Amino acid sequence: MVREALLDPTGMDERAADGTLAPRPGTLRGLTVGLLDNTKPNATELLAHLGAGLESRAGVGETRLYTKDYFGTPVQEDLLKQIAAECDVVVTAVGDCGSCSAATVADGILFEHAGVPAVSITSDSFLMPGRAMARLQGFPGFEFLAARHPIASLDSDELRRRAEELLPDVLRVLGAEG
Amino acid sequence: MAELTHETASGAAPMELGDVPAADPAEIRALMEFYDERGWTDGLPVVPVTESYVAEFLATTASDPDEVLFAVPHLNRELTVRLAAINAALAGCRPAYFPVVQAAWEAIAQEPHPRRGIWQSTTGTAPFTVVNGPVRTELGLNSEGNVFGSGFRANATIGRAIRLALINVFGLHPHQLDQATQATPAKYTACIAENEEQSPWEPLHTEYGLDRAESAVTAYVVRSVIHIEARHTQLPEQLALDLADTIRRTGALIHEYTNALLVLCPEHARVFAGAGWSKEDVRSFVYEHAVRPRAELAAVGKDAISHHTRWRLPASHPDAMPDTAAGSDDPDHVHVMTGPSSVQIVVAGANNAGVSAVVEIFGLAPRERPSSYSRVRAGSATARSSSS
Repeated sequence: MVREALLDPTGMDERAADGTLAPRPGTLRGLTVGLLDNTKPNATELLAHLGAGLESRAGVGETRLYTKDYFGTPVQEDLLKQIAAECDVVVTAVGDCGSCSAATVADGILFEHAGVPAVSITSDSFLMPGRAMARLQGFPGFEFLAARHPIASLDSDELRRRAEELLPDVLRVLGAEG
Repeated sequence: MAELTHETASGAAPMELGDVPAADPAEIRALMEFYDERGWTDGLPVVPVTESYVAEFLATTASDPDEVLFAVPHLNRELTVRLAAINAALAGCRPAYFPVVQAAWEAIAQEPHPRRGIWQSTTGTAPFTVVNGPVRTELGLNSEGNVFGSGFRANATIGRAIRLALINVFGLHPHQLDQATQATPAKYTACIAENEEQSPWEPLHTEYGLDRAESAVTAYVVRSVIHIEARHTQLPEQLALDLADTIRRTGALIHEYTNALLVLCPEHARVFAGAGWSKEDVRSFVYEHAVRPRAELAAVGKDAISHHTRWRLPASHPDAMPDTAAGSDDPDHVHVMTGPSSVQIVVAGANNAGVSAVVEIFGLAPRERPSSYSRVRAGSATARSSSS
């Protein structure tokens, strides 16, 4: 009787892992922070509150808002290069759906690989796709922030409080003193 | 015991029990559990796949095993011909089915949403394929009774071959990268054949300029299959209005527009054709009546669209902007389709009752035709497929 090995149907060879973070600046004082809006509801305002918090709390010099053309896939290379050239660190939000949560995490990893410290923010209903994407990108331990779900339906005061809750972890991931 | 016989499920000739093959039950169990533990399954048992078995699948195509059929760049994942074959075997396909599976992937690869992450989405869409041409009868694809149901190996396993590769190759495991809130039963398998023999019209693939004698697979991204009971009428207008009523349901409207594949039973197709209606006439009539009064959209909070996402939302929402119809000559009557070609038509099912279906096709931007197709090529490299 001929015996043959079973075949792996995934083709999932171990991808060249690159779990290296960009060097941290130590302080955000005077630096330029890129805010990458993925166009999901309330992403712009959440990022604006975070940007204001970074200015008042960490002495950030300037915040710049950028907008993705489609929330479901990672940031396009042109925009990635532009942000990397114009900003010292970046915050990207908000991953609150199946495809955009994974894309937001992929964005953070792409920025780290481009040498820009990055904070990816999803909602905590979408931890699993974020982690799955980090594994696919060869960075299984990539740390991203999970804000309390929901985000899309919050009013302005609630968004401000979400941003307040997130700010200490944003500073920690960026390696900055609060 | 030798005289004992049993009827086979298909009602074929009684089989001597002595003809039943013997197997090692421990090994069968161990193989099933191995695949389950690895997560290389849709939840149902899969067929163990080894190199010599895959070779039989690869022998049915002229393509290089390393040729990429479908890639999702943001997932860093690619489906090669070989991986498509392994997953087709895993799904229970016969090797002879593989040219249809390959054509299905070639069609899916031309669709705009799958490569952009729609199968990670909460919306929960599924691939849905329609097979046309002689390959239907060659492979035993069902186009008649129970066309959406179970019981036909070719339909069941060709659709499943797509699902298993999405899970295995693209990592679209539920609760992980696949975040569908509820999804659809079509995610197990969804492959039908057109009942060309009982259709009064030319089959779907001839609309692409193909010959009836050629075979093709058309791929759709679908959300729902909704059945239409209309046993009461011989009037084409009544029947078309019944179909349009389901298409324009507000629950289908995530975006400004929707698309539909009408899967007409032979009886319904003849109601139209008998009255002299072409498929184009059906499309135009249904499109013209796939309209809602603005007040009905306002009642469910879908009377405007979002600046950001272009999803429907209430006009009172801070992100709201007027929809396209609001700027038209008739702002209070909102078309939910962009044109007659948003309505696709195939004939399938038994010729025994007035029961049809609306298959809701997912789509963001308006397209000339909300589907893509590829020719089925058996064993030799002929003309390449093209987008529609």
